[in-house]
Amino acid sequence: MVEHLFVISIILFASGSLFALCFYGWQRLGNYISLILAAIASCFSIALSVAVLFNGSVIRFDFLIYHAIIKYNFLLDPLSSYFVLAISVIGFIASIYSLGYTRLYVNKRDTRFLGFTYNLFLLSMLLVVTANNALVFMIVWEFMTLISFFLVIFEHENPSNRKAGFVYIVMAHISSVFLTVAFFIMHTYAGSFSFDDFRHISAQIPEIYKNIVFFLVIVGFGIKAGIFPLHLWLPLAHPAAPSNVSMVMSGVMIKTAIYGFIRFYFEFLTPCPPWWGFIILTVGASSAILGILYALMEHDIKTLLAYSSVENIGIILMGIGLSMIFKSYNLMALSSLAMIAGLYHLINHAVFKCLLFGCAGNIYYSTHTKNIEELGGLIKRLQVTAPLFLVGALSISAIPPLNGFMSEWLIFQSILNGFSLPLALVKITTSICGAILALAGALAATCFIKAFGISFLALPRSEHAKRAKEVPVIMLVSMGFLASLCVFMGLFPAKIMMTINQVNTHLLGTNIISAITTYDWLQTKSVHTNFTELSPKSASVFGLILLAVTFGVLTILRPGFTKKIYETWTCGISPEPRFGYTATAFTKPFKVIFSNLYRPRREISATYAVPKYFVKSITYIGEITPIFEKYFYNPISGYVLNISNKVRWVHTGSIHVYLAYIFITLIFLIIFIK
Amino acid sequence: MASSIILPILQIVVIVGLSPLVKGFINKMEARLQCRRGASLFQPYYNLVKLLQKDAVVSETASWIFRATPYVTFVSILLIALLVPVLSSQVPLNFIGDIILIIYLFALGRFFLALSSLDTGSAFGGMGGSREMAISSMAEPAMMLSIFTVSLTVGSTNLSNITSTLLNYKSLNPSLFLAFTSLVIVIIAETGRIPVDNPFTHLELTMIHEGMILEFSGRYLALIEWASSMKLLLLLTILVNTFLPWGIATDLTFPGLIISFALYLVKIGFFAFAIVILESSFAKVRLFRIPNLLGTSFILSVLAIISFYVVS
Repeated sequence: MVEHLFVISIILFASGSLFALCFYGWQRLGNYISLILAAIASCFSIALSVAVLFNGSVIRFDFLIYHAIIKYNFLLDPLSSYFVLAISVIGFIASIYSLGYTRLYVNKRDTRFLGFTYNLFLLSMLLVVTANNALVFMIVWEFMTLISFFLVIFEHENPSNRKAGFVYIVMAHISSVFLTVAFFIMHTYAGSFSFDDFRHISAQIPEIYKNIVFFLVIVGFGIKAGIFPLHLWLPLAHPAAPSNVSMVMSGVMIKTAIYGFIRFYFEFLTPCPPWWGFIILTVGASSAILGILYALMEHDIKTLLAYSSVENIGIILMGIGLSMIFKSYNLMALSSLAMIAGLYHLINHAVFKCLLFGCAGNIYYSTHTKNIEELGGLIKRLQVTAPLFLVGALSISAIPPLNGFMSEWLIFQSILNGFSLPLALVKITTSICGAILALAGALAATCFIKAFGISFLALPRSEHAKRAKEVPVIMLVSMGFLASLCVFMGLFPAKIMMTINQVNTHLLGTNIISAITTYDWLQTKSVHTNFTELSPKSASVFGLILLAVTFGVLTILRPGFTKKIYETWTCGISPEPRFGYTATAFTKPFKVIFSNLYRPRREISATYAVPKYFVKSITYIGEITPIFEKYFYNPISGYVLNISNKVRWVHTGSIHVYLAYIFITLIFLIIFIK
Repeated sequence: MASSIILPILQIVVIVGLSPLVKGFINKMEARLQCRRGASLFQPYYNLVKLLQKDAVVSETASWIFRATPYVTFVSILLIALLVPVLSSQVPLNFIGDIILIIYLFALGRFFLALSSLDTGSAFGGMGGSREMAISSMAEPAMMLSIFTVSLTVGSTNLSNITSTLLNYKSLNPSLFLAFTSLVIVIIAETGRIPVDNPFTHLELTMIHEGMILEFSGRYLALIEWASSMKLLLLLTILVNTFLPWGIATDLTFPGLIISFALYLVKIGFFAFAIVILESSFAKVRLFRIPNLLGTSFILSVLAIISFYVVS
């Protein structure tokens, strides 16, 4: 029964993509059908993943096409199903959201292509996390990359989108090279490409090759995950794609790389030395802090969200890295706790990032701009989008009682547990990573106060913002569902932890759920670690009681409380939008404090009227130096271009010369390879 | 059972009731040090009563965020008052959460205050909000590390456990001293006292916290003012009952609570007076010097955690 669900959802995704192509004349109808099919397919895969997670069983699928060349092996174990769950929940909501969002494109550009690629994109992610064979994995991995490349350049008439697509495809292929080499090294020892064989050969691989594979995997999957400094493509590609696609890309596609990390480090290469986990932890911490620092300086709302994805991937990796460290010292219960924290943050990030990208899509839908400096006052115009965005902003800033707080709290608890590690240096660094996480959290709060405050509050700063209208209901409903998920996952952490515990029992062989949950006074499950306990539910209940008491007391004291509505006092002149703070101004203190990192550049030029006392116009240019691009990528790409220029004389353009090359190569191969 | 109902109410009453007095005490003492007579010790209460009786003026630009902020800020601080050991080391509601929850509840209030500073569209609000966020972000790592040091010494992040363990703590631990010093700097920054922020300033360009709440009036202003004085008292309470918990009641007997309350008043008075001395002997530092101060605090907290791991 359960096996069929997998096949059904594959077929539904495939037919969704084909239906999109079929309806030539009625684009709108074809678009709806394909999106609805994607939503139904996602429902089936949700059912599939839930079934596997709670039965604790492992399901295999072997499709034998092209006998003996490639075995299409797929495996659904609890780890895969956890990712399938994340992908299909986000896929389901993004499909519903797209029903409204794609109205932007219907009859304006080819939505057939969008529906076609969108379905295949969801399908490819589903296959990536279930592939059980290195060859199959690389095929679907590459497929996912190509499909998402087409989605990134969907609005290809814009040169910046084409550039984003180019950077993405180049980076993604560098990633593929690293992964291919890693898989080939594994293959030499396993004798086959099957993941089943990879799982048993760890002991036979020499230490040096294990370390090489470790680094290959960091770079290979790190590019896809967008860790610093391999994040280059992420802030370019995510804003370029249509919002409904960025939701999926940022929400779940980059998490397939986390899946890769866990497969390699917890299954193929185990047991790993402690310094591996240590590297992952520090890479995570630096991604977290640098990601959010760059997000703070962004005024394009989607780029800002993309940088914040870099931050959150860093936080997830901190959880994974801690789990690896604990595991290598055989502290399995702690390893399990850290894994729960990491995977909890993973699903949280999927939910709130999808919500925020959706709301950014709503803003773009109604104002046609992504620059928050041109917005303002939207809370009066997009009256439903505003609270939804606020919920997302609160969650991502780890404000209780929403879900982001729960996972960061668990990561703090895992960090505190670092005291049981044997090495002083590791213990101290772990604590400092905790401090970095605290700083990143506070900066994230600032960043999202800026994103929400500048775009939704005060007066509209442009005509677009002034004329904004609320978006179609279907988009609001799907986002409302995500917002309630944010609240639910914050208030009922035990449910999510139980789900992740299923993954742990299979992956790490530990079952710590009874140790980390406890019954509180409401007789419901709350969280409990060896340091303390936490019950977000009771905190909210008491908060509401206190609110009611405060409100009641104030009303009894003075029943006739009235408010006078009057314009903001601006020293005697009537308020104008330009009096309000802008995003640039709001983040100025940070630009000064972190000027060593940002290296801000500022140019002010004024033109004067004939008497030099009257300024006619002032031009202001302020920008920060992207140091990674300037000092890391630009020299490399310059070097590559230089070499390419030097060797281009072999490309003569004459077909005879090329035939001669082929002939020489052939002879060469015959001589040297027997 | 009775204790689990009485004690939380008692905590709220003490924190809510006493916090304006602490503010009044600081103002009075500062006036005295400047050879002024100063306003009455109870002036903050009169101010609150006056504000609560007034209607509010709300900007037509402002949205529901502006009107919700005073309640969110006030209630988040009240909730913290339930979680902090005030008179007894046993907090009946300590299952709700730990010190990390408290830090993030402070962040909840700050989040809404900073948002409402942008809400009215005036220039000064945003200035205050932006600076407040910058300072509090810089303070966060030091705060977290000093809390880590204390929690690791005790083996718990729960404030009840921290207080009752440190009550019986005999040895002198250098890491606790360092954490204490670091936390003092953080608290000065978090509560907006000199040398980080001047709570008495009326010049818009130098305001930080006061700039954020410039547009509030009437009941809204009263709630926010009250919340900020409660925040000061709560942070002092955490400091006092973590590092100097001597004399705090461990069981719920009437004489025990009275002694505990008297000692609590003395300790809080001592720290309030320390703030007075500090504020009278220093000038407010320039905005972009504050990161240096907070950097010092961070280094101290790193030293605290290092010495904790090296000593233990």
